[in-house]
Amino acid sequence: MAEAIQKKLKAEVEKYTQMQKDVSKSMSARQKLETQLTENNIVKEELDLLGSTNTVYKLIGPVLVKQDLDEAKATVTKRLEYINGEIQRYETVLKDMEKKSEQHREVLSSLQQEFQRAQGLAVGKV
Amino acid sequence: MAVNLTDLSLPQLEGLKTQLDQEIEFLTSSIGQLKVVQTKYVEAKDSMNVLNKNNKGKELLVPLTSSMYVPGTLNDVEHVLVDVGTGYYVEKNVGETKAFFKRKIDFLTKQIEKIQPALQEKHAMKQAVIEVMNVKIQQLQQSQQASQMVGPTKA
Repeated sequence: MAEAIQKKLKAEVEKYTQMQKDVSKSMSARQKLETQLTENNIVKEELDLLGSTNTVYKLIGPVLVKQDLDEAKATVTKRLEYINGEIQRYETVLKDMEKKSEQHREVLSSLQQEFQRAQGLAVGKV
Repeated sequence: MAVNLTDLSLPQLEGLKTQLDQEIEFLTSSIGQLKVVQTKYVEAKDSMNVLNKNNKGKELLVPLTSSMYVPGTLNDVEHVLVDVGTGYYVEKNVGETKAFFKRKIDFLTKQIEKIQPALQEKHAMKQAVIEVMNVKIQQLQQSQQASQMVGPTKA
């Protein structure tokens, strides 16, 4: 009896640590997006300050390619939209994960109690 | 802080201290990085002073690699290409470029000023935690000594 519960407990703990790993992975991905958001915001601010006298170049591999200012602005704006969308997506994913971890924690603690009870019974019999 | 430090146990205080240590380390390294970038911008802004009309047409040595230079002449003293981030480079004149660097330096100064109070606060908190820990350790030692003193007389 106790052994079966112990096996189950072990499997659940493993699942839980895997979940925790996923959470931290998503967290760091979200953090990376945040950095990109800041950088792109800075670039957008700079581009907004430019006039027709300035020429914009885009670094593609090792070469600089001349680019239209409006086109560059559009690209950065689109990128910002995409990043914001991604951040929102990760936000919901993280919330979902947190809820699942919470539930899993409860399952784990009840299993632990069950295991202790079963162990106590076994010891009592001996 | 809502929780009274003296209510916490020694292990809890120890945990709090390590957490504070980590936060302090993170903030300190952030400030360090910001300062490094700021120095770079200051240097770049200073080097813009070389680009004036007096230096137009002068000869200079252009580094092709870190150990090899080729002679050249300074042709254009009005325009430079500035990296504004995410792979975008913008051609600006000297005045605009100086303004650009000034903006960056001011931005970084503001960021550093934002972090500094937080860092000081964490330092103060760590100090408080250490003090409470010391008091607790002393109390523990005293009670141990007291029980040792009592022990032999009883025996």
